[in-house]
Amino acid sequence: MNPLRRPAGLWFADALVILAIAAWSYGASQLPDFVLPGPLAVGSRLLALFTDGEFLFHTLASTLRVLGSVLLALLIGGGLALLARGLPLLTALINGVLQPFLSAFPSIGWAILAAIWFSPGHLSIVFVQVAILAPFCLINISEGLRQIDRELLEMATSFTRQRTRIMFRVGLPLLLPYVIGSLRIAYGVAWKIALVSELLGSTSGLGFLMLRAQGSADLTTVLAACLAIVALFFAGERLILDPLARRYATR
Amino acid sequence: MNAARSGAPTAGASRAFAAAVLGALLVAWFASAGRVPAYVLPPPGELANALWALVSTGHRLTHLGATLLHIGAAIVIAFIGGALLAFAAHYQRWSAPAIHQRMSPFLSAFSGIGWTLLAAIWFGVSSFTVIFTIVAVLLPFALVNLREGLAALDAELLEMGKSFGRDAGRSWRLLVLPALIPFAAATLRIMFGVAWKVTLTAELFGGGRGLGYVINVARQDYDTATIFAVILLIILAVTLADRLIFAPLERFSTRQFGGRK
Repeated sequence: MNPLRRPAGLWFADALVILAIAAWSYGASQLPDFVLPGPLAVGSRLLALFTDGEFLFHTLASTLRVLGSVLLALLIGGGLALLARGLPLLTALINGVLQPFLSAFPSIGWAILAAIWFSPGHLSIVFVQVAILAPFCLINISEGLRQIDRELLEMATSFTRQRTRIMFRVGLPLLLPYVIGSLRIAYGVAWKIALVSELLGSTSGLGFLMLRAQGSADLTTVLAACLAIVALFFAGERLILDPLARRYATR
Repeated sequence: MNAARSGAPTAGASRAFAAAVLGALLVAWFASAGRVPAYVLPPPGELANALWALVSTGHRLTHLGATLLHIGAAIVIAFIGGALLAFAAHYQRWSAPAIHQRMSPFLSAFSGIGWTLLAAIWFGVSSFTVIFTIVAVLLPFALVNLREGLAALDAELLEMGKSFGRDAGRSWRLLVLPALIPFAAATLRIMFGVAWKVTLTAELFGGGRGLGYVINVARQDYDTATIFAVILLIILAVTLADRLIFAPLERFSTRQFGGRK
């Protein structure tokens, strides 16, 4: 787009962002650091979260666990949805009992129970995250399976009797938009809600870092960690999810 | 694939199987009593006692009330705030990029735990902190959903409205509002579900009242039975509210006023 012909609304939007940062900067100069640190201090801490060894360790721990949990949740949620569809005997158990139960289960409940049941560590955290994320994948992929066009499958059956061939050539492509949708939802929820898993019985991750910093009134680190999460969220969307959606989810 | 075609008998068998599995789990749970430490898995009797204590003693009931109050207040505030922003972006086009391309993505990506910890520092341990956190998390959901509702407004219908009368308020009340109701109902349902996911965390780290506070105390006392009781209570409340209030509301409003296709 020609920068001179940019819509006025966008200029206004960017002006508002600059104004907000200026207001933040002014507010920070009037308030003590443990109430509101300035944009520069938070910015340099944010940079440290991606470069400095000790901070980077926490950022990487969270990122890798989130990616792992999202994939596991997709496998488990998707697997359950397929089971419910493929084995009619299990439909009521999975869609009628397990899914509402998991959906309504409070996320902090999983975190507390995992802290009681398991020894602290990566596995305990991943367990909590998968427990929180799996129902979102289950719901989305079940919906996808419901929406698959029966007539298209019927048509495919009239061309071949190989069920695996139908599955890979027709069923899977029809399901892919929902798989990507599940990934998108699970990825967002993982950063926004499932990080609660790092608050109890954890010694690594951005959640742990935030809680520890809050305990010592180090608001610079809390804010920087929040912004790091925003950045990681967008990076995942732009670098992984959007390209995947463009490649596979167009119908 | 055969599920739909073979019909009722399979559905009945499936329900029976689900009941059987639940029954087996229940038996296993009863059998576990005495073999597993009570703080790992409280026996059914102990859980029943804890559940009864939770809903029968006065001061614990006030915690349940506090949680409901937090959630109710936050949903109302976030819904109104989201609606105002969505309307502003829709009717004052110049503000749309600021709202939909700057503010909404930023709020959508901001972590709930971050809000909790920040609010606890800024506002202290209080109900205000809890409500602020839930509002901050819910606002983008309200905004995104209501925006979709406004985008789906039928332009031709509004044009027809104009040809019948010039009273903008009247066409708004008779055409725009009814068309938005299904989206509002769906939005409320989503907000209710998300609110429960963050409220307890907010209460645990930033509130002196509410069920999150109850589980925090129970956690420090290794009182797993109370933790289970609170979780069970929440699962019941969420499931019942969703089935008895929000799902019928969404169905009714979609039938009455139409909705997304």
